[in-house]
Amino acid sequence: MESKLMSRRVYLDHNASTPVHPEVLAEMLPYFAEVYGNPSSIHAFGREAREGMDLARERVANFLKVSSQEIVFTSGGTESDNFAVKGLAWARGKGHLITSQVEHHAVIRACRALEAQGFDLTCVGVDEFGMVDPDDVRRAIRPDTVAISIMHANSEVGTIQPIEAIGRIARKHGIPFHVDAVQTFGKLPLDVDALGIDALSFSAHKIYGPKGVAGLFIRKGSKMVAVQHGGEHERRRRAGTENVAGIVGLGKAVEIRACDMHTEAERITALRDRLWDGVRSRVPEVRLSGHPGHRLPGTASFLFRHVESESIVLGLDLKGIGVSAGSACTSGNVEPSHVLVAMGVPLEWAMGAVRCSLGRSTSAEDIDYVIECVEPLVRKLRQAMPVGVV
Amino acid sequence: VRYSPTLVDHFLNPRNAGLMREPDSVGEDEYEGCGDLTRFFLRVRDGRAVEIRFQTYGCGPTIAAASMASELYRGRLVGDLCGLDAEEIERALEGLPDDRKHAADIAAGALRAAAFQYQARQG
Repeated sequence: MESKLMSRRVYLDHNASTPVHPEVLAEMLPYFAEVYGNPSSIHAFGREAREGMDLARERVANFLKVSSQEIVFTSGGTESDNFAVKGLAWARGKGHLITSQVEHHAVIRACRALEAQGFDLTCVGVDEFGMVDPDDVRRAIRPDTVAISIMHANSEVGTIQPIEAIGRIARKHGIPFHVDAVQTFGKLPLDVDALGIDALSFSAHKIYGPKGVAGLFIRKGSKMVAVQHGGEHERRRRAGTENVAGIVGLGKAVEIRACDMHTEAERITALRDRLWDGVRSRVPEVRLSGHPGHRLPGTASFLFRHVESESIVLGLDLKGIGVSAGSACTSGNVEPSHVLVAMGVPLEWAMGAVRCSLGRSTSAEDIDYVIECVEPLVRKLRQAMPVGVV
Repeated sequence: VRYSPTLVDHFLNPRNAGLMREPDSVGEDEYEGCGDLTRFFLRVRDGRAVEIRFQTYGCGPTIAAASMASELYRGRLVGDLCGLDAEEIERALEGLPDDRKHAADIAAGALRAAAFQYQARQG
């Protein structure tokens, strides 16, 4: 039964991770067994590894239109976010932080940890589309505000935040501004100068690079301390031998994205709209969450009223389709996503949140197959589910 | 797939799902940890549950457990249903992962509640 069910596979979870691009993989492979020196070593073996890493740093810097000295490589988006938030806060010793209620847990929990250490924290709210009001950020500023951290786009609902307006406010008040751009790096144009950004987190595996490698842009002259201590790596900003193969992959991934970002965004936006149109024309009581216009090209987050999201994910999984649930029953505890709660989405809708995130491999046939599978699945689940229990 | 073929079959093709008109009794159970809820409806003739229908709000295993219970216990004496055990449902589903054991617990709890309600009404 399973082989028949699994005959077609459709991956619609690109906001979670993406497959490594073949050209990225080809560029990485020599750095496992042929170019294996430690990039901190001064001999030829080390220098060869360093050259690969330098090229990657240059590629990232070119994409962001910054100096390569302003790029620090890390082990993932979570590390980059922790580095930025804690590094900015600890550099000032004490004070007040501003973030939003819809940030990734890497930012929110880093801020909460700082709060436990004595920092004050303001989490600004969002509107029904998940968007931060720059005026709320302005109003939250205090004389002792030491950092503002607002994401570029939300991974769950896709809403793109008004970063430029918030950056202007931060700059006017002389407050360092960190942006978690893990979901937008390589997907949307990013001009850190124009956007007034002082620190920016980015990751490789969301843009067809490898997992376990990411980075942080730190504007030259920014007051920021290291979070991880040890050797002299990354200009003493992040200790630990660099993941050379991964960094080479990150560099190649961003170089590819710089070329195809716009055409790819146009293509998957059309497919995303095809998916939404197909689902809403067949399934009653479904909504799209997030901002209707300012949203990530490939993200469609559905809210199915009176259906439990994990049962939809399981049903689609059995049809070979990979999507993600907005609420998950883990360790016997289920809560709707903090993003949907902050947006004020009623529980009866929030518990049925399912995110589809499209990518390079997604075809129109894939989308039509998903639409075909969603309608009977939701209908059947609703037959078994008592209306109005949540 | 982390679930047995039997569980998947009951999830994809739930038996006896939906409301029952004029049931002889109704019972519910909810798992507070995650908000999953199951409701059973019983039709009783000569002391036996001749028809069992259910509604459930929850993840795949919760739907499958209710579906399985609706088949497993059809025809049994209502008095026996008062003491039914979640493990029997779990065994019939060919096992549940540790973090989904509650699926069988809710099904068992809701069916016991329906049986108790019937007994109470009979005095």
